[in-house]
Amino acid sequence: MSEKMSFTFQDIIWCNLKRKPLRSFCLIFLVAALAFVLFGSSLITRSLIKGTDGLAKRLGADLLIVPRGYAQTAEGILLRGSPSAFYMEPEWLEKISGVEGVTAVSPHLFIASLNSDCCSVPIQLIGFDQDTDFIVAPWIKTSVPGILKDNEIVVGGAVAGRVGDTLQFFGRGYSIAAKMEYTGSGFDASVFMNMDAARIAARDCASKMGADAPPEKSISSIMALIDDSSTPIGVAGRINSAFGYVKSGIAVVPAQNIISSVSVSLRMLTGSFGALSAVLWIASFSILALLFSAMLNERRQEFGILRSVGISRKKLIAMVLWESGLISCIGSVVGIFLSALLLMPFRIYIREIFNMPYMMPGFGQLCAIACISVLLSVAAALLASLLSSVKIGNADAYRVIREGGL
Amino acid sequence: MILEASGIKKEYIRAGNSFWALNDVSLSVDEGEFICIVGRSGSGKTTLLNILAGLLTPTSGSVYFEGREYSGLSDCELSGMRSTRLGYIMQGQTVLPNFTVLQNTLIPHVLADRGDAAEAAMSLLEQVGLAHLAGQYPSSLSGGELRRVSIARALLSSPVLLIADEPTGDLDEETAGEIMRIFTSVSKKGTAVLMVTHDMNSAAFGTRSYRMASGQLL
Ligand SMILES: Nc1ncnc2c1ncn2[C@@H]1O[C@H](COP(=O)(O)OP(=O)(O)OP(=O)(O)O)[C@@H](O)[C@H]1O
Ligand SMILES: [Mg+2]
Repeated sequence: MSEKMSFTFQDIIWCNLKRKPLRSFCLIFLVAALAFVLFGSSLITRSLIKGTDGLAKRLGADLLIVPRGYAQTAEGILLRGSPSAFYMEPEWLEKISGVEGVTAVSPHLFIASLNSDCCSVPIQLIGFDQDTDFIVAPWIKTSVPGILKDNEIVVGGAVAGRVGDTLQFFGRGYSIAAKMEYTGSGFDASVFMNMDAARIAARDCASKMGADAPPEKSISSIMALIDDSSTPIGVAGRINSAFGYVKSGIAVVPAQNIISSVSVSLRMLTGSFGALSAVLWIASFSILALLFSAMLNERRQEFGILRSVGISRKKLIAMVLWESGLISCIGSVVGIFLSALLLMPFRIYIREIFNMPYMMPGFGQLCAIACISVLLSVAAALLASLLSSVKIGNADAYRVIREGGL
Repeated sequence: MILEASGIKKEYIRAGNSFWALNDVSLSVDEGEFICIVGRSGSGKTTLLNILAGLLTPTSGSVYFEGREYSGLSDCELSGMRSTRLGYIMQGQTVLPNFTVLQNTLIPHVLADRGDAAEAAMSLLEQVGLAHLAGQYPSSLSGGELRRVSIARALLSSPVLLIADEPTGDLDEETAGEIMRIFTSVSKKGTAVLMVTHDMNSAAFGTRSYRMASGQLL
């Protein structure tokens, strides 16, 4: 006899699930959807919050100076990596560094790249000055390269490729000399090169687009640090009064201003996100409760037979709860796994969608979110089945049989 | 005396009208007896058996099983009694589709937490001629075979009382005869059998028989 000889209460539960694969699958699917929504929405919300948290520190500058009219565009580059290009005269570098309270300045040159084959999101090429840089170096995760040659680049955390790989821009090959950490900002989709190389790339870009080449020696923006005794607003005011607010043709943006505009949209986004997932959650919970109640009703005859051969009320309820508990454990793990599978590799796209700084929580927090999602989903499923199972458990055994249609 | 029921009444309410499905029924069952109850459809036979099995509470009257009154027992105690001392073969098809023949036979045993009984179950299946189907699922069994599974299931715990509701209802004469022989041999070994049937041939196997009419035992 191939039949397994020992047969236990656990086997009864297992057989009930295994022998009704469609029913079990539907329930697992619903719980998985519940966990998927729960885990996915908390992960995205956490990532948005973490992306915005300490963003000022991560941007690494106190003031951003750009040509007047480009402040928004520059924010886009810094926060989200939306590629674009604009220019100002290099003399500003010296002028700004001469203002009281400014301790360091470093120029950037922005070149909007076409979609590159390395990446499915548009890449921002940025020229930077390695001598004065205080923005890029702190983020380099691989060993810090020496002076970058013209064909060497430092790439953001989201750019595909490893140190030593070659990327093509405007027909030229550049080899990756270093890679940066994820910053949750626009740097993740940026490629940094030295100023000379960037000017050549800018000319390549202009000729490819049939546009005018940028003025010789021009730069796009200046990042500035200030000393502890000054405030960003105060220094910005000093710059404006020294060079004339309108006449100067530049805009001085305190990094905080960028951040506060971000936190407003963060609050709106997380708010509507929370509301949306609450609606989804209530919907799937109701379907689950309905399904459990329909399913348990359909099983009245089965329960009646079990009562007639001596299952007690308590044990009958325990059996049903074990079944739904098992189903919801499997379902929630599946749902969280799928959710993670979807959200983890595509963080760059997700940032594109939300247009916000986005940074995944660390492993510990990720596990905590997963555990809480499992617990909540299992609790929801148990609650959904508890009501109907108690009703059936408490019904007169004979009625259970009768209404089962015996 | 194994079972003693006295003054059992059961009132049902249907469409606002109440009526007595059982009207003052008394019955006692001794060890090794084989009692048959016949009666027309709707006369209250199943209602009586459900009350005797502790699945249904009578409106009035008392049932003693092995000296204990049902109304004084908790659900756990009643259920424990059904899974160990009393075998109840309900009317209709009651083999569970999710389990094999052997597993179905073992279920009361599992519910009573009474360890491994696979060997006892196999020898019972042997007795009812189903050993070769032990690993099969009910969907592939005939009506007579299914009935024998529920008999084996009811007998596994060696109950002192076996209650059967129309065990031969939808079976041919020969198969019905086989089942009656099983019941006879069970009662010869000391288990009391209480059987409801429509079939006069089956009723002839009983040592004592009753007729049920409009809720009364005659
Ligand atoms: N839960 C119930 N509510 C109302 N009336 C019921 C209920 N159960 C049974 N009845 C009625 O009580 C009467 C007795 O039913 P019972 O099932 O005991 O009959 P029976 O003798 O077993 O019939 P059969 O031989 O057809 O199985 C019938 O008229 C039936 O319609
Ligand atoms: Mg009946």
